[in-house]
Amino acid sequence: MSTAVAPSPKNETKVKPLRQESRVGMFFVNAWLIFFAVISIVPMLWLVLAASKTDPELSSRNPLAFGSLKGYWNAWQNLQFFDNGVIGRWVLNSVLFNAAIVIIATITASLAGFVISAAKIRFKRTFLISTLIMMLIPPVALVIPLFVMMDKVKLVDNPWSVILISSLYPFGAFLSYIYYSTTIPPELYESARLDGCSDWQLYSRIALPLSGALLGLLAFFAFIGNWANYFMPYVMLYSGENYTLPLGLGFLFYSTPAINPGIGATSVPIYKPEIALAGILIALPIMIMFLVSQKRLIRGMLAGSIKE
Amino acid sequence: MAKVKKYKQRNILMKLMLAPYLFLLIAFGLIPLIMAVLEVPGESLTNPDGGWDAFKIVVQDFRFPQAVKNVLGFMAIYVPLTLVLVIVMALMLDVRHTKWSKYLRMAYIIPASVSGAVAVLVWWAILEPTISPIKSVLNAFGIESATQIWQTKNLVYIIAIMTFFTIAGNWILIQYGSLQSISSEIIEAARVDGCSAFQLAVRIKLPLIRKYVIYMAVLLFAGGLQIFVEPQLLTTSVYTGIANAWSFDQLSYELAFKSGDFGGASALSIILLIPSMIGALVVIFKTDMFDDKTIRNKQESEKADL
Repeated sequence: MSTAVAPSPKNETKVKPLRQESRVGMFFVNAWLIFFAVISIVPMLWLVLAASKTDPELSSRNPLAFGSLKGYWNAWQNLQFFDNGVIGRWVLNSVLFNAAIVIIATITASLAGFVISAAKIRFKRTFLISTLIMMLIPPVALVIPLFVMMDKVKLVDNPWSVILISSLYPFGAFLSYIYYSTTIPPELYESARLDGCSDWQLYSRIALPLSGALLGLLAFFAFIGNWANYFMPYVMLYSGENYTLPLGLGFLFYSTPAINPGIGATSVPIYKPEIALAGILIALPIMIMFLVSQKRLIRGMLAGSIKE
Repeated sequence: MAKVKKYKQRNILMKLMLAPYLFLLIAFGLIPLIMAVLEVPGESLTNPDGGWDAFKIVVQDFRFPQAVKNVLGFMAIYVPLTLVLVIVMALMLDVRHTKWSKYLRMAYIIPASVSGAVAVLVWWAILEPTISPIKSVLNAFGIESATQIWQTKNLVYIIAIMTFFTIAGNWILIQYGSLQSISSEIIEAARVDGCSAFQLAVRIKLPLIRKYVIYMAVLLFAGGLQIFVEPQLLTTSVYTGIANAWSFDQLSYELAFKSGDFGGASALSIILLIPSMIGALVVIFKTDMFDDKTIRNKQESEKADL
């Protein structure tokens, strides 16, 4: 932790007179900071509480009141009536697809970053620039072209289309490149080579043991980048049993009258609390990841170029 | 001789380690681009003779000007709103570091977990006066029924707010992080010279994080052009027909999957890719954000600091 983040006690006393000077200003700054924090929390809070209530309670009681723990269980039970419990399948798909993406993306990106930092290969600059371009273009920009391609290789409506496409991880490759080139001095590789290490051993014996923090970062960003992804899976997968949770949630909007007044009454007991519960299943894992990895987020998104 | 052989062998191992990523990069980065270009001149109902007219035809589609109006209208609100609020928040957070700052930052990141389909659900509820957690605020503005809000003309504002909340927390943390990279000596010197907290923020800190602000502006712009999920879910699932072919990506989607016009859809994808590509190149070549040397020097000076 650098001094910029945590000022030393000496600094505290030095700047004190200045702070007193602008007490009114500080009051407004703090008031605004807290106000914005409240606004930030309310939507998530509503979502989490909504699933604990019954549908009539959602409008009759305070929107931020807690229903009961049993409410969550009831909502989950009711969701099972939708298409013979397909929700369980969606949860499983989300978990499996994302696990595959996180593993493939983390391994390929870490290896690529290592090679680019440690090996003398041609086209290194071309490679880095194409990685950066891919990293800065919004992923949705290529969805239609990707569909055209997946259609030709007959992978449409196959989970592997989503898994493979999402495993391309240019941000991860760049992050690994920065990480390895700043934590491992080239001399270390040289002397290991003289000692008879193969290139694979350079990775497995030198780079990998120093990669703990990097692999955590890579897995974290791969997960939060893909867990709630909608557009690409929406285009690639069309069978209900292949849906992920976000697609399933969209499908619930579409096929139940819970929030779409245009849909007539159905026989399944899917109302707002049930839909809210499906939403929680998507939002909560990401929120937890964010809260426990705040530092990772800052550090990673500035591509390791700033102080922690 | 033996040495050369050994070196070659080494390099093969290196290439093998790079291969999986390179495969993904070529397969899902380069090839789709080439295929999109090849797809454009294909014959379709809208482009019966085939050929590069597909670009012209898609731009002349009656839905195209509407999408331009919607997306530019949305971006005119979303990009400046996000830029200004994020920077103000980051600068305010940086005024004083207390034990509370950490919790504030935690709160700001929470809406980022409410994205895509979940964001549509939550904002539908917030803007539905019967169940809204901000019922009293809505009522104060004279809003008693959802139909007062969910009108086509209001969509640019609603979608701007939805996307703002999805993305703001991430950027507040990033810009807060970029502020931490300013050397403490500069801040100290400015304070000794009698800079107030406000002057410090506007005259010293802001210019010093300029490149991160440019970076953010480029990414916000590129992302905004590609808005899809929010209007698409609203129009297919919540208020049927409220935002049909509202954005470019929706139009592209409709061309491909409703009219089977993959040539037109690919043409539109390529048109949209151009500004994103320019933005990416600007960030790569015109700022030193991703410059090898800058990053290395910074790391070196950090080591020296310690």
